[in-house]
Amino acid sequence: MPHSVEKEFTFTFSSKEGKSKLTVPVTIPLVSSCTELVGRLQKMHNLPCNVIDELEKKLGEFTARETGRMHDQNGEENLQLLRQGKVNSNTLVDRWTKAYCKEVKEYATIQEEDPMRTFANVYHTLIHSPALETLLNLEHTYALAMENIIRQRDKDLKHLEGKHQSEMEVALQHVGESYRDDDINSLAQRHFDNMQLGEGKWAGELSQLREEQKREYHDWVHRVFEDTQAANTPSYVQRLRTVSATLPAAEDEERQVQNRLEESFTIHLGAQMKTTHNLRLLCTHVLDLCRHKPHTVGGIVVPQPQRLQTAMSLYSNSLCGLILLVDNRLNSYTGIKRDFAGVCEQSTDFHFPDVGRQLLAVEQAFAAANAVRQARQLQNVQEGDSVSVHSNGSGSSGGSDNQDRSLGAKLHTGDFYLTKHSNLSEVHAVFHLVVDESVRTGDITSRHPAILSIRNIIRLCFRYDIQTLTIPLLLTHEMTEEMTIPWCLKRAELLFKCVKGFMIEMATYSSQVSRTIQFLVPRGLSEEMFAQISNMVPGIFRLSNTLVVKTS
Amino acid sequence: MTTLGKADFGVTTFYAASHPNDKCGPNGLPLTPNSIKVMGRFQVLATLQHPQICRYLDIAKSKHERMLVVSEYYQTNLLSQLGSEKYSNERNVVHVVYQILEGLSFLHGKGITHRSLSLDNVLLQSQSDIKLAEYGMYYMTGWGSDVSFPIGSPHYTAPEVLCSGPVVVDEEAEKCVQPVSGPKSDTWSLGIILLQLVLGKKLWEGTPLAEVLQKILGFVTEEMSPLDSLAVSQGFTEKLKTLSKDMMDLLRSCLTVTPSRRPAAEELMKHPVFREERQKATPYLNGYSMFTTRLRCRDLELPNYDDEEYDPDHLSQRSMDEVYYLWRLAGGELESVLKKAGMVKTRPPINLLPCCGIPGGDVFGQERDQAELLDRTIIVLSQEQLRSRLQDIEETAYYPLLEDESVDTPQLPSSPSACDLSQTQSLPLIIRERDIEYQFHRIILYERLLKAYPFKRPHIWKEARVDVPPLVRAHIWAALLEVEGDIEGTYANIDKETPITTDRQIEVDIPRCHQYHELLSSPTAHNKFKRVLKAWVVSHPQYVYWQGLDSLCAPFLALNFNHEALAYACLSRFIPKYLNKFFLKDNSPIIQEYLAVFAHLITFHEPELSNHLEGIGFIPDLYAIPWFLTMYAHVFPMHKILHLWDTLLLGNSSFPLCIGVAILYQLRDRLLSFGFNECILLFSDLPEIDIERCVQDSIRIFCATPKSAAYRQHNKTSKQQNKGEDRPNVSYYSRDYHEQPQCELSMEPITVEELKAEKCPRISAEDLIELGELSGPAYSRSPSKKRLNSKPMILMVDVRSHEEYRKGMIAGSINIPFMTAFSPEGELSPCPAVNTLNSRRNQIVVVIGNRGRNAANFANELVRLNYSRVCVLHKGIDVLKTTGMLTVAPPDI
Repeated sequence: MPHSVEKEFTFTFSSKEGKSKLTVPVTIPLVSSCTELVGRLQKMHNLPCNVIDELEKKLGEFTARETGRMHDQNGEENLQLLRQGKVNSNTLVDRWTKAYCKEVKEYATIQEEDPMRTFANVYHTLIHSPALETLLNLEHTYALAMENIIRQRDKDLKHLEGKHQSEMEVALQHVGESYRDDDINSLAQRHFDNMQLGEGKWAGELSQLREEQKREYHDWVHRVFEDTQAANTPSYVQRLRTVSATLPAAEDEERQVQNRLEESFTIHLGAQMKTTHNLRLLCTHVLDLCRHKPHTVGGIVVPQPQRLQTAMSLYSNSLCGLILLVDNRLNSYTGIKRDFAGVCEQSTDFHFPDVGRQLLAVEQAFAAANAVRQARQLQNVQEGDSVSVHSNGSGSSGGSDNQDRSLGAKLHTGDFYLTKHSNLSEVHAVFHLVVDESVRTGDITSRHPAILSIRNIIRLCFRYDIQTLTIPLLLTHEMTEEMTIPWCLKRAELLFKCVKGFMIEMATYSSQVSRTIQFLVPRGLSEEMFAQISNMVPGIFRLSNTLVVKTS
Repeated sequence: MTTLGKADFGVTTFYAASHPNDKCGPNGLPLTPNSIKVMGRFQVLATLQHPQICRYLDIAKSKHERMLVVSEYYQTNLLSQLGSEKYSNERNVVHVVYQILEGLSFLHGKGITHRSLSLDNVLLQSQSDIKLAEYGMYYMTGWGSDVSFPIGSPHYTAPEVLCSGPVVVDEEAEKCVQPVSGPKSDTWSLGIILLQLVLGKKLWEGTPLAEVLQKILGFVTEEMSPLDSLAVSQGFTEKLKTLSKDMMDLLRSCLTVTPSRRPAAEELMKHPVFREERQKATPYLNGYSMFTTRLRCRDLELPNYDDEEYDPDHLSQRSMDEVYYLWRLAGGELESVLKKAGMVKTRPPINLLPCCGIPGGDVFGQERDQAELLDRTIIVLSQEQLRSRLQDIEETAYYPLLEDESVDTPQLPSSPSACDLSQTQSLPLIIRERDIEYQFHRIILYERLLKAYPFKRPHIWKEARVDVPPLVRAHIWAALLEVEGDIEGTYANIDKETPITTDRQIEVDIPRCHQYHELLSSPTAHNKFKRVLKAWVVSHPQYVYWQGLDSLCAPFLALNFNHEALAYACLSRFIPKYLNKFFLKDNSPIIQEYLAVFAHLITFHEPELSNHLEGIGFIPDLYAIPWFLTMYAHVFPMHKILHLWDTLLLGNSSFPLCIGVAILYQLRDRLLSFGFNECILLFSDLPEIDIERCVQDSIRIFCATPKSAAYRQHNKTSKQQNKGEDRPNVSYYSRDYHEQPQCELSMEPITVEELKAEKCPRISAEDLIELGELSGPAYSRSPSKKRLNSKPMILMVDVRSHEEYRKGMIAGSINIPFMTAFSPEGELSPCPAVNTLNSRRNQIVVVIGNRGRNAANFANELVRLNYSRVCVLHKGIDVLKTTGMLTVAPPDI
């Protein structure tokens, strides 16, 4: 069924030389106006001006008739589809019903109220009310309790480990005397079991505490909310007071916030229409942006001001994101992943499932992702085949297919997954970006999968209102030997330029919202190097006009 | 012009479908977001006017592809009136149906299929008269392909539409796979409406959706006609028997399954049942056009003013666009209206985030926000705030009199609420544009003036010097550019389809031209761009397409988005006025001359900057060519171009040069501290320029520049001063130097080499006489810029030898002989004349010498010493010999 057809238009007119006939193909429906077509015909065929009015009339009638005919024919063919049984009326009904039910509110089934969603609303209202401070303090108290248990756990496990170690040492010294090899083995086995038992016990305790806190917290929030709604007499204030009073006293050890090196810039992006954005160059450890670091003021442990910021914006349209570089295994057993999980565990997340459970969901999503990926690979192979004469491409890709399947849950470089948090200090959403050894070499380009993924992440940030994003500028969280000065400068330049490009690209059609991009460099970078990198910014980005106040 | 009448404004909202992945189109560029496409297509809907359809007024795009559409709205509709006594009378039903048909046939004539016709979309504007609403949805969404929801209510959908299934979009071609629904699908919907009207109840009330669809699809294969089948299944056979034969026939023909046997709206209007209606109907004349060769008063009917009909609601007499514009100025904001109505309850983004993504750009595990589903609710925009803001305005203000221009009465009345509006006039433009009361007076005044165009052109010109309200800017610009005549006809007769050699270049340039602009980035705009540019290239064979023409076209297209012909007409008036010969195949002599004059003007106004830039070799050729070739349209974002051109269009062809100087002036401090490389960087990505300051500066610079200093031989030469009386004489600005008659005292062409060799501009003897007030001869014509009792603007420095000076000098000039003027260190040797020079540094210094190079050299030295406003008398002292203005100096004392 065509969207347009070409029809022959014939027009006869008489002139001095006798009858003339004009035949032209006309596309139906007409793209431009009838008048324009007449103008063109007149010029092209040198038509006398006295026939123009009639030509226009005839042509108008012709196009109207033919357009109508085309629509009739298309409609007819549609009906024939059903009459001849090429489409089944039941499938049609299904498709239409689905289209209406999924997309039109009038026909859609109303989603039941999800308790988490009501909680989100309630929380967002409370955190923007006078209850804010108490809410934070309550969270803080819970966090301290949690920290306490964790500290006990660590101490206990350490003690256990020490005990095991000394036992083992003793045993090993007496191998062959009072201990046989089998005894050693069984001792090791017992130690391992003990350790697991201990860990299990603590894990159970922790999760119990977490659940308990979460339940209490939810209850409390709902109660306070009801109070505020009903309240003529703000009885909740009372409740707030009692909670505030239970704030723990300062502890012996000193809590300090480590100073970080940072520099901020305001930039303009865009050729004609300019948007203002903020850039910040930061030198600190990546987990410092996550770790919730209470400090003491006047003998009372209080949360950092950043915490307030994140709490207030949690359900808002101004989120903070962070890119965390991870390896290709989806767990939290090793390296920075374990440290990160540790930071998340420090306090209870009252809004989102814990990291482990979030990762389970990620794993499921990756199953779908891998299916898409494989389908795409297959398609590429097929397309490649149809173009090139059977190269060895199909054979090798078959192999890699098998490989993919055998690797199972392993991720590819450039994949990323997301976890959401309400209990971290300066972020809400963490993008775990999978990188491999290749980022340590000096010669990666803008086509590297990690960089492409940063582009996708920035796109998500625009889509989901993540207004602040932290990007590891050197694509690494640690300083290593191969990171020489030229290496660092080259990498910084690459990232700066790519991010600039992505920002301009994303801003093309979206509204003029100004965003903040934080570029993170690892701790251990020399101050001199930091200064060098910061000096690159004005060369790559257009800094905004400095306001000069003139005194006259 | 549709007046407001009793109409409300209604806003609806829907989401455009977002592209699943960042795919690229066939041209390698990312796909245009659907919301942008919808915006582009919407524009033509806003021009549709007919008594039986609701006007579309505005479309806006909010975050994440949400669209907001504003249209005319009435609170009652056929659905709410269903079953009322009124429609048990067949005649009333016939009247309604006939009006629907009138509306439909108008729409179908424009190539628009309604597709959503239903009882609740037929609004009642009075007891008996209806208006169709929501008719644009199918058209603006690209026949359903830009949105994920199906268009139209399923109960009313024609069987052939259902047969083709819900829209499937071919991502590659960005089109829907199915054919577009024809206008006859509306006839079916009308049949369903008619049936429900005569039955007085809804069909299939309470029946599940799937069953309804099954039933409609059943008609396709059934033997029985749909009407009979329905009558049986719904049990209204008896009721049908009470209907007249004509009515039954009408119903039957509407509810015909086969489209080819179902009549179109226009045919249906000839049905015998409408005999009476046809006699009553008056043809709809779509009124007034500003540019036409037809007699504009042909359809004019003078209203008769009956006292009984006197309506105190003057606002209802204003056009809908105007009232909507004022509504927004009164603080109306669409999004907050929707928010208040609970229509934009989106979920917090943190809960919608996806779980993971792969480098290909796909993401997984995200949730669909239920708020993105289509909600057809229409929210009424309350006019309360607007009316309360305007309540203090006197009735007479709605009907201002255009007084005789010789009577100098203030145009703006003072009002009790805003004390004095003429005070508003002195506020910054941004504030004036937001001031509802001020804008109200301005647009009413302009509307009257534009109706009287071209007769009232001088008056428009005068008002435009104050400011130009955004609502009427398009037409005012056309008036300032003196667009006249049958522009539609001219434009229609240009062949914009036949391929030409520049097509490729145009294709490449358009997707790079002002694409941040929501309208200009739409495919509709690209198409229009192409047509207007091609039209210009084709109809100006002496010129070629230079890159930059696209930027030049952009402001006109953005303003006249629905009026290509006017955009084209403005463009083709603009180019000869400001860019004469710039689009020649070999335009280097023209550009070279332009740049040389520009360099002179920089030196004239900013000698220090000029010295610095020349010192580092940063010449205008390196940065200013795109400025002039696009008249800054390539440099600034659209909103700034509009403000800049508001003034530019009032100035003459030299004014753009002054804008250039004003931009440099704004960057002055930075430029002075920069070296060559930094300057290149600075101009490659120009920093934010304060445009209002830039405009003020350029006016100041323009006024301080003698006309002949900006003389360019390649400028447009006048055809004879025939239009003199059209423009008011206030415009020393707007008159071009070239439009004055030439005489021996005027400027003459100078070669580019010569221009480049000199640092300072030359001025003509005419200007010297004029500015120096040397009791000029009668043929000097520019009005004096001098205020009463002010001193002359210029200081004449005669650099001939003392003896020559004594023999014949201009009264008031001082003598600093070039030979002895400078010390070996290059400083001016002190003497009384030098003291005079130093004491009058803010005046224009005219260096007068003989025919040789002494004068120019002397001027160069002054520039080196950072003297500003130095210029040289063209052709030297000799030119004044015939004027009898030379006198013998009094003997030295």
